[in-house]
Amino acid sequence: MTATATRPEAPPPPAPPSLKANGSRLADRSFRVITMACGLAVLAVLVLIAVFTTNKAYPVFRVAGLSFVTSRNWNPTATHPSFGALAFIYGTLAISVIALVVAVPVSLCLALFLTEVAPRRLRLPVIYLIDLLAAIPSVVFGLWALAALQKPLSHFYGHVSSGVHGIPVLDRLFQGNNSRDFFTAGLVVALMITPIITSLTREVFATVPVAQKEAALALGATRWEMMRTSILGYGRSGVVGAVMLGLGRAMGETIAVALLIGSIPSITVNLFHPGDAMASVIVNQFGESSGTFTAALVGLGVVLFAITILINIAARAFVARSEKAMGKA
Amino acid sequence: MSVTELPPPPVSSPAVSPLASLNASSISPLRRLRNQMATGLIYLAVLVAAFPLLLLVIYVVRRGAPAISLNFLTKPIPSPLRKGPGMGPAVVGTIVITGWATAMAVPLGILGAVYVTEYGTGNRVSRVVRFMSDVMAGVPSIVMGLFIFTAYTVKVHKLTGFGGSLALACLMLPIVIRATESMLSLVPRELREASYALGTSKSRTVLTVVIPAALPGIVSGCLLAIARAAGETAPLIFLIGTLQAHVNWNVFKNTNTTLSAQIFVNATQPFPGALSRAWGAALTLIVMVLVLTVAARIISSRLSVKAR
Amino acid sequence: MTTDLTDRTSTTEMSPRHAPRWMAVAAVAALGLVAGACSSSSKTTTPTTNSGGPATTTVKLASATLNGDGSSFQAVFDQEAAQEFESLHSGITINYPGNGSTTGVTDLQKGLVNFAGTDLPITDISGITIDPTTILYFPTVVAPITISYNLSGVSKTLDFSGTTLAKIFAGTITNWNDPAIAKDNPGVTLPNEKIVPVHRSDGSGTTRNFTLYLSKVDPTDWTAPPSPTFPNNLGTAAAKNAGVASAIESTSGAIGYVDYATATSAGLKYGEVLNYAGKPIAATLAGAATAAAAATVNADLTYDPTNAQVADAYPITAPTWIVVYKTQTSAATGDALKAFLSFIYSTGQTHVAGATGYAPLGGALLAKAQAQLSDLVVP
Repeated sequence: MTATATRPEAPPPPAPPSLKANGSRLADRSFRVITMACGLAVLAVLVLIAVFTTNKAYPVFRVAGLSFVTSRNWNPTATHPSFGALAFIYGTLAISVIALVVAVPVSLCLALFLTEVAPRRLRLPVIYLIDLLAAIPSVVFGLWALAALQKPLSHFYGHVSSGVHGIPVLDRLFQGNNSRDFFTAGLVVALMITPIITSLTREVFATVPVAQKEAALALGATRWEMMRTSILGYGRSGVVGAVMLGLGRAMGETIAVALLIGSIPSITVNLFHPGDAMASVIVNQFGESSGTFTAALVGLGVVLFAITILINIAARAFVARSEKAMGKA
Repeated sequence: MSVTELPPPPVSSPAVSPLASLNASSISPLRRLRNQMATGLIYLAVLVAAFPLLLLVIYVVRRGAPAISLNFLTKPIPSPLRKGPGMGPAVVGTIVITGWATAMAVPLGILGAVYVTEYGTGNRVSRVVRFMSDVMAGVPSIVMGLFIFTAYTVKVHKLTGFGGSLALACLMLPIVIRATESMLSLVPRELREASYALGTSKSRTVLTVVIPAALPGIVSGCLLAIARAAGETAPLIFLIGTLQAHVNWNVFKNTNTTLSAQIFVNATQPFPGALSRAWGAALTLIVMVLVLTVAARIISSRLSVKAR
Repeated sequence: MTTDLTDRTSTTEMSPRHAPRWMAVAAVAALGLVAGACSSSSKTTTPTTNSGGPATTTVKLASATLNGDGSSFQAVFDQEAAQEFESLHSGITINYPGNGSTTGVTDLQKGLVNFAGTDLPITDISGITIDPTTILYFPTVVAPITISYNLSGVSKTLDFSGTTLAKIFAGTITNWNDPAIAKDNPGVTLPNEKIVPVHRSDGSGTTRNFTLYLSKVDPTDWTAPPSPTFPNNLGTAAAKNAGVASAIESTSGAIGYVDYATATSAGLKYGEVLNYAGKPIAATLAGAATAAAAATVNADLTYDPTNAQVADAYPITAPTWIVVYKTQTSAATGDALKAFLSFIYSTGQTHVAGATGYAPLGGALLAKAQAQLSDLVVP
């Protein structure tokens, strides 16, 4: 059967009525309805998530109002409870920033490696490596870090903090040698978000028009200069989108953070200080909560939900923009 | 320079051709250095990603392998004080809870993706579905857990494995939809049109021609979703409780526990028996997830429909 | 050409080739899952009531699952006792993860567990609205709260006075070579190392008993009222006694409060505590038993053994109970509960307690507890 490539896209032609039994028209209609219902299930679930969680969290918003996100006074079991979640929001952001700072350069380099630099024999092993990194569950990362990383990291932090002693900004950033702190959690989360940033960035880089790359090379650019101008330049929006997806994933990371962050709500620039994060405090304290305390924890979930949805929407917008800029060139 | 005056001929040695000026030695050393440094950094990044991963895998194997045995995979979970094998309930729990989640998410996801690709080109509903499933893929699993807790667990007044399955199904749904959708759109139009031309109804075409053609890719996507769900911990902690000492195949009665939950619970125990079982569970979980991921890759690379 | 058409037509005329195969597989899988869901391990033995006394004979119990949660302080005992009990009664499953007193009692309130382990009266837990007249407190064991620490370079066991402990955990004393610690330990060279106080991040009966002791022994330095939530954010925190033990183990310079069983099983070093007379008392089961024996027992069997003003009593002794609803709703679980409690009051006291690192209840308290078993109403 010859392919008619020049035919413009048209909906599949319906079969002539005489070849269709009445029963199958009913089957078709019901099939269409069923599949549409299944498709809308996603929308339904998202709406239900929003409705149920906001409803459950409503008491705390009524009691605390805006102070829920602006106050750092978190005392849910006191006789006059207060629900200021600022420390948890800070913790989530701090860990995400640390994770991004570590993961983004590594992921970009990995993506460049896979699209430009890798000799053919190394491509597949590195792809498997990234798959493996993505497959390992968060709880195993946490278990390993607790068992294998605490002592070495504690020594490392000790050396760093004594090394930067006296240097104006750095000595506020790196004090002490606590092994369960923002930095450890951030490092492990970086490992976990690297695969998603790498794979999306790789997709973006792979769609850079070959003509662009060849043009740069033809003008005498070195490979690095070609990558810098054509790929990184052209794919900038896409990279931003990938980074934002990584950010969203980092913010939602729960278990490894719960094990490694130290469970002390704190707002400090010291990265070697224990802290607490939104998702972790939910999983740690949900069982013992009741009443407004539970509402507060669900409220944290609502905040997390809203933030990650916004980040995801923005990320998709960036990726779509880059696809539009590059794709049809 | 006046138009009539020709530019002086280039002063060069006779053997020089225009191409010679493009060889490596004519690039300024600074540029060459930058290029080499960039390449070096890129290779370094690969090592930076590979090194912790290898450390982790070696460590898990080293500490987990001694714990694995048939008894480990089948016997009940002993108290943390005791040494000795036993993660049977967790293995069964992982299988059963993930199984129910798969049974719910896969049909829903495949049919939803069918709608988007078959009925939905340019359609507003399908654009919404596609957008929403992308967005839902980024929702943290703990939010799903909170949703199921308020919608289901408080209504039934008990901790059951099924609650965990519901949360995992929410997690798997967008993954299945996206994988199926991309696979279905790779199936060539001609296949569908040939089927219609023979008088097959649309529903039958989809079920008997399109889906089977895309099946390897769909299966691969589902395996990846299952792998992701099997490793999930966060929503399960408060949906199914943190212990079920005896094997339980029934997700609707008498809670379950999973490998991931047991790892979490035992990770902070100081007792050597509990820790060794945690490592065994970690190794079992990694092997499970690895097998699923590798199977997904093999199926998708060997058997799937290639884009024409 | 005609053959092609016929072939294709015949193909489409046949029942769909691929659909039944995956449908069949799915059906089999679904059947298997449904079969698993419908199966239930049940024994058709007649339930018997067990009113206490030594469980010398294995009385046949209808199969049941007892879900409990709560105090991690008694978790090591409960989990061992559960395992022993299960070996005597096949068909009974007892799950006790030990996620902290607050979680346990909250779960009891939500109806998610059959029994809760707690180290403090439920009325002292915020958010608990259970009517205290509807529940029974069954004391299980007694044990010391050890002051465990991680300090390399000091081989001798350190002594701590109540005031020193209050200052350490309030943050007033920040270094191991502080004069107050030196005063408690004459002749010991203390290293110049930062103290890292470790406390519980979850709602904990152990926290409440420890803070109760601190507020009794040094109300000037320790001003916060006793509570299951630790009142400050110093040092580092971990969930459950086991988590605190792990944190102390892995943090140099750490000091924290851990139950005796967990501390000894984890191999932690723990100090002696100076009592009301200034005499250092080691954390031993005998010391805990002495403290418990000196405490006044209320009618509902709650009591407070902390800071006992009796010679050789360990000052930071903690009580712990299993709390159940007085009126049980299910015969199977009610019987199993009663049998388990009887087991705790027989073999549990004579064998399991000592083997796991807990002191059994004193004679008088034990008698009262066994008598209370008959107050448990099983349908």
